This record gives sequence, C-alpha cells and structure tokens, in this order.
Amino acid sequence: MFGYAIRRMIQLAFVLFGLTVVLFVLLKAMPGDPARVMAGLGATPATIEAIRVKLGFYKPLHVQYWRLIGGLCNGQLQAMTYHKPVWTVIIERLPATVELGAAGMLLALLVSIPAGLLSAIYRNSPLDYAVTTTALMGISIPVFWLALMLMLVFGVILHVLPVSGRGATLWGWSFLTIDGLRHLIIPAVALSSVQMAMNARLTRASMLEVMRQEYIDTARAKGLTERVVLIKHAFRNALAPVVTNVGLQVGALFAGAVLTETTTAWPGIGRLMYESIIRRDQAVVFGLALFMGACYMVSYLLVDIMYAYIDPRITYD
Amino acid sequence: MLKKGVLCLAISVLMFGVLVVADTAIPENPGAYVGGTLTIGVSQTFKDLDPRVSNSVYDAYVYGEVFDDLIGLDPDTLEPIPHIAKSWTVSDDGSTSVFYLNEGIKFSNGEDLTAEDVAYTFNWITDPANGSPNASEYEWLKEALVIDKYTVMFVNKPDWTPFCPGLVSESASIVPKDTCEAMGAEAFNLAPIGSGPYKFVEWKPGDHVTLERNENYWLVKPNLDKVIYRPIPTLATMMLELEAGGIDIADNMPAQDVARFQSMTGVDVLQVASLSYFYIAFNCSHAPSNDVRFRKACYMSTDMDAAVFSIFQGLTGVRAYGCTPPALWANDTDYLKNTIALEEDDAAAKALFDQLKTEGVIPANFKTTIYCPLDPRRTQLATILATNLEENGIDAEVQPLDWGPLLDLLYRSEDDPLGAGYEIFIMGWSGGADPHNFIYYLLTTENAVVGTANNFSWYSNPEADALIKEADTTPGCDQATREALYVEAQRKIFAEYPHISGYHYIETRGVSTRVQDFQISPLTWIQLCSPSNNVWVKE
Repeated sequence: MFGYAIRRMIQLAFVLFGLTVVLFVLLKAMPGDPARVMAGLGATPATIEAIRVKLGFYKPLHVQYWRLIGGLCNGQLQAMTYHKPVWTVIIERLPATVELGAAGMLLALLVSIPAGLLSAIYRNSPLDYAVTTTALMGISIPVFWLALMLMLVFGVILHVLPVSGRGATLWGWSFLTIDGLRHLIIPAVALSSVQMAMNARLTRASMLEVMRQEYIDTARAKGLTERVVLIKHAFRNALAPVVTNVGLQVGALFAGAVLTETTTAWPGIGRLMYESIIRRDQAVVFGLALFMGACYMVSYLLVDIMYAYIDPRITYD
Repeated sequence: MLKKGVLCLAISVLMFGVLVVADTAIPENPGAYVGGTLTIGVSQTFKDLDPRVSNSVYDAYVYGEVFDDLIGLDPDTLEPIPHIAKSWTVSDDGSTSVFYLNEGIKFSNGEDLTAEDVAYTFNWITDPANGSPNASEYEWLKEALVIDKYTVMFVNKPDWTPFCPGLVSESASIVPKDTCEAMGAEAFNLAPIGSGPYKFVEWKPGDHVTLERNENYWLVKPNLDKVIYRPIPTLATMMLELEAGGIDIADNMPAQDVARFQSMTGVDVLQVASLSYFYIAFNCSHAPSNDVRFRKACYMSTDMDAAVFSIFQGLTGVRAYGCTPPALWANDTDYLKNTIALEEDDAAAKALFDQLKTEGVIPANFKTTIYCPLDPRRTQLATILATNLEENGIDAEVQPLDWGPLLDLLYRSEDDPLGAGYEIFIMGWSGGADPHNFIYYLLTTENAVVGTANNFSWYSNPEADALIKEADTTPGCDQATREALYVEAQRKIFAEYPHISGYHYIETRGVSTRVQDFQISPLTWIQLCSPSNNVWVKE
C-alpha cells in the first residue's frame, strides 16, 4: 500500500507539471491585453506600459512560465491586483471555502446516505417515491436559484437566518460562533443539494444491487436478523461506489463553490476565482487553478487508498 | 502676522485673476443620533483603498470617507467648493493655480496635513514610475510646488487645461507623505490613513471593510460609530439583504426592483442621473462609416427613444442627447434634441443606404458587426440597432466581447491603424464633474491615437478641437466662457453624427428609512460626512 501511494504521488507530480503547462498556454491564448484591462479606460500609455513591464510580458514565454512557477514555489509571486503574494491571497480565502465545503459534504452525507438506504429498504413505498422525487429535484434545480429561494424564505419571509455573508468568525472560522454558524446554513444547503441528491440515488441503486446478491440470501438463511443483514452485509458492500463518488465530489465542490459563494456573498476561493478572472489577475487564476487541480488529484488518490479498506478484494501491492 | 497674511493675499489677488474666499461649510443636523452602525451593500469587491492607485468607483465609497479632498463639490451645482483648500487663485493665463489650505487639519494618526502632503499626493500620481491609473486625470499638471506650510502651487503644462477638471475627483484625496513613505505604497493601500471623517479599521477581503469615527475630524463630529461595507456581487442577493434589513444602503438597484421597493415601507429609492454616457459610435476612419450619410441612415433606422425606454422602462436610464450628462453644466439637451437628433424614418434611411450602395460607398455584399461589451443593456441596444439595419437592407450582426479583445479591437494597432475590423460599436464613459472629461476624451483628435486613446471613433473635427482647447485653457477658468465653448463644440461635432447618443444611467440606491441625511450624488460617490451632510441612523 505504501509503495502504491508513493508511486501515485510521483505520478501526481508529473500530472501537476502537465497542468501548469496547459494552464499557462490557456492563459496566454486568452484574447485581450490584461494590462489594458487592469489599467482601465482612460489610462495613459505609461501606465499600461508600466503594468506590462511589471508583469514581465515582454520576456520570452519560457521565462514568463518559469517566473510563474518559481514565484509560486518560493511564495513570492505577487497577485497584481491584490498587492500581496498569490498564496497569501488564496490562504486568506481558503478557510471560508474549506468550511463551506466541509459543511456541505457533511450535510450531504448525513442526509443522502440514510435517505438512500431507507429508500432501498422500503422500495416502491411512498418514502421511496419521496426520496427519489426530491433527489431528482436536487439534481435539476440550479444552485444559485436554490440559494436565492432559501434566502427569500428563511432570510426575508421567516427572518430566521441571515441572508448572505459569512458573519462573525473566531480564529478565522465561522462555525465556532453562533452568528457564523447561522450564516453557514444557507450556503451549505445550496452547495450540498446536488451532492445530496446524487449520493441518495447512488446509495439506493447500490443497495438494491447488493441486496439481489446470493450472499444476502445466504445470510438470511443463516438466521441473521434483517438489521444485521442490511447493515453489516449489504450496506458495507454497497458503500464502495458511494465512497468513490464522494471522493470525486470533493473536487466538484470547488467548482460548485464559484456559483454558491458568488450568490451568497461568501468570501471563499470560489468567489476569488470569479473576481480574479474578471480582473484578469493571471497569477491568481493560475495559482487557484493549480490548487484546485491538486485538490482533485489528492482526493482521487485518497479514494483509491480507501478502496482497500472498504473492499477487502482490492489490494495494490 | 495678520498684516503679513493680508499683504500676501493682496499680492496674490493682484497677480492672479480669480480668488475664491469662503469658509469651508460645516454640516448641521440638530437632533441627529450620534452612534450606531451603518451597513452598506456594494455591488463589487474592493480592489484598492489608496486613492492614488484606485480607478474604481466602488473603492471610492470607502476611501472617500477615509480621506479628504483638496476641494469639494457642491452637490446641487457640481461646482468646486472649499474643503481642505479654503481658497484658491488661478493665474490669468491659466498656467498656475495656488491653493491656501485650512490649518489645523490632522490625519487620523495625528500628523498635520500640510502643503507637503498635497504636493506629494499629486506629484506621486503624475510620476510615470508609479504607474498610477489616475495619471491621465492630471495630464495637465507639470508639478505641484510647496510655497509655504499651508500654500501649494500647481503648475500646468504649457497649453493645458486649468486645474478645474482634474481636482474635482475622488482621486484628488490627500495622503500623508511621511506615513506613505514609511509604509510603502502596497502596505498603505491595504491599511490607508487619511484625514477623513472615518478611519480605517479592517479589510477582510471579499467579506467586509470596517471604518470607525475619526474622533479628531476637523470639520465636524461624524455621527456614526462604525461603517461596514459589504461586497455583495449578486444584485438579487443585495435586494434580499436590503429587504431583510441586513444592509442599510444598497449601492445599486436593478430596474425590475424599483417599483417593488418604491411601494414598500422601510426602504426609500433615491435616484439621480449619473455622470455617465453610453453611445453607439461609428468608425470614422474608413468607408462606409466615415460617410456622414451612412451614419445618419443608421440613426434614422432606429427609434432611439423607444429603444432606451425598452431597456430601462423609464426607471434606471434616461435618453442621452450629446455627450454631456444632464447633471453637468454645458449640457445642451434642448438644442441637440430638437435640432440634431433624428427621428426614426425607415424610408429615408433605406433611400440613403440605396444611394450609398449605388455610389459604391457601401460595397456589394456589405456586412457589418456591431461590437459591444458583455453588458446586457448594451447588447440589447446593439440587437435593436442590428434588427432595424437588417430591415433597411444592411446585413448586421451583434458581437458582445470581453473587455480584453474589445479594447484590443478599438485601440487598434500599428498593423491596423484604420480599425478595418469594425464600423459600429457601443461603449460607455463615466467622467468627473467637468464637461472636459467627456468631450475631450471621447471626441478630440488628440485622443485618436493608436494603442491608447479613447476617441474610438477616430473622429476628427479641427474646428471643434480648437474650441475645446480654448475652453480648456480659458483664462481664470471662467465657467461661463468655457460652457459657451463646449456647447458650440458639441453642436459642431454632433451635427456630423460620430455618435448616436444612447443613454445616461440613473444612479439608483435603496436606502433604509432608518438612515437620515443621506444624499445621492450624480458623481456616484457615497458621502457620509461632507460639508453638506452628516449621515446618522435611527436606533
């Protein structure tokens, strides 16, 4: 297992290198002069020129590329429009997204797995129909619209939750304060809605598949209680595809965070990405894309490693 | 000492043509509650809090409270009024202006505000090495010189505009020289220190900026304990926050929400036509758009009044006639509307297009693209124009572009100096409280330069250029003289239709009824404590 993890880490380094090249080419291929956009209408030629020089636009492409990579590695790459090193800008915003992503994921798991389980056990019952219909709605409703509806109902009509923003924080975390926790609810529900729905459907389908297996009949024939059959024998085996999906969703949460954070005025890295693209701050876009890419890859690696624990049939060495 | 001061004053009146002497006004609002917190929703995230390097009106909401301007602006007449400068003189030839500062003004860190700080501020902005995006506002300034502790002289470049246009700007806020030099520009930008009514407390990027009362403010005691600015990029969310009471002021309101909030108790909707100008423009460098008949035919193809109404429903935008907004002096709406503006006349437009086709001015198989930014309003206007042109026999399509490629197209390049790729485009402009800021940048030959300029039409009218230059260099900066010259220039220009004037935004803010003494300004500033107001909140 250890050797496998090391091999995957080496692969990950190569993939990250490839990602930096692709990102750099894409940034350079984007139409328009970022210096002009940053300087704004009415800027003097001297101002635009100063920005171009500061960003190193006149240097050869490979020099620009290594400047970006070197700057990111030693932490000195400056975010042009934020006046701070790129990593400082990202780290300032990261806790908000980690907190939102974790809350969303937790919510999705707490709701979707029991719902999927019950839906499978009581197949074709009103409960099953309720779960599958709600899940379909969860997948279909756009995140930003759901967030706005939650704000309208709970913030404006019922006045029980704050509409937007992050509220009070303690040591940089919202969930440590009552006010922050209240601010977290609407964005977390909105962000988790798609994951919740997908996981519930997957858990249900996986459980139904497992429950058709012969070893389940054998377990029942041995006289085990239905609870033991379902939880110990069926559920654990049904969990493998769900865990895979959850692992992949860690990365997807960052993508979903762009919409959710922008709609709910949540100051995380999803909104930072949106702002940096608008401002044409290439260094921040580059750093963020790389960071998000690395998160995807690490989550895939963790999923692969977890397989071995969940499914004894899988070994890597 | 007093005699010496009077003597200096007398000499300066003799040397210079105009002297403004007035005490800086002090706001009064008896019965105001002193205390409380005001929360303002802002539709964009803050970028810079140092007025020297910020080019965003949203940043100005914050630094406008942290810093004081050299001169103020009358909210009703938009004319310069004393502020840090208690008076000023302009030399007869307009080449220099001298400012006499109020004494006893302190920055929030206790430093005195002196002529050194004023000169440093403007010299820093105009120094190309600093790359300030506001440098273009002070193209007229050669240098600012310290005369004595409370007197500063601005020396203009030869044949350049007098001080008026540049100094009535939010970027004309005075920064403390010693502190700026000690902190460095980047650190100062993140934690600014000024002499304004509120002082900077914290900036949580993307979340909020907090200010609190500057207890030593020289003009008056600001009423609010604390001001919180919250960036809320989604307008629908901002409206929900306003309705729920999460914010007291929304800096923007979409047209579809205006009627709803107007009928709601607890929120007032305040509106004023802003100093903005949005226009359909023609490339005057090549055929067929360099032919005035083509431009007139395009104008006659479209009912512009109906188009603007359909975009704004008469709520958040007003039809423009000429480039000078209605809130500004030198606005000439009546003449331009009645004499220059063209009514929709499809038959006449079609006849003109046919004539141009026959003459070969419009080539066979001519097809044009109307370019605009990724802005729903301008895209809608472009679509209306394209549809009408199609009906009159001109093949037209709409192409909204991101700012980068759009500016690349309009700024042109040495390889394409005539802008061969475009005939028609839609752009906008926001300027300060002087007609110069509109007509000079958008429609003079000086601003038709490959790679940088803002006269994207490349329109050139030497007669109008001369009038604008004369207005810009009017001795003593006399407003009546300048107004007449700008009006005449505007008439000459718009008679040749380089633009079809589109609309001016109506600045719309939602304000909770707990907020008192709040004024809306055409300049899009949010002023909480100025010579004319001191905002307070009902507890």
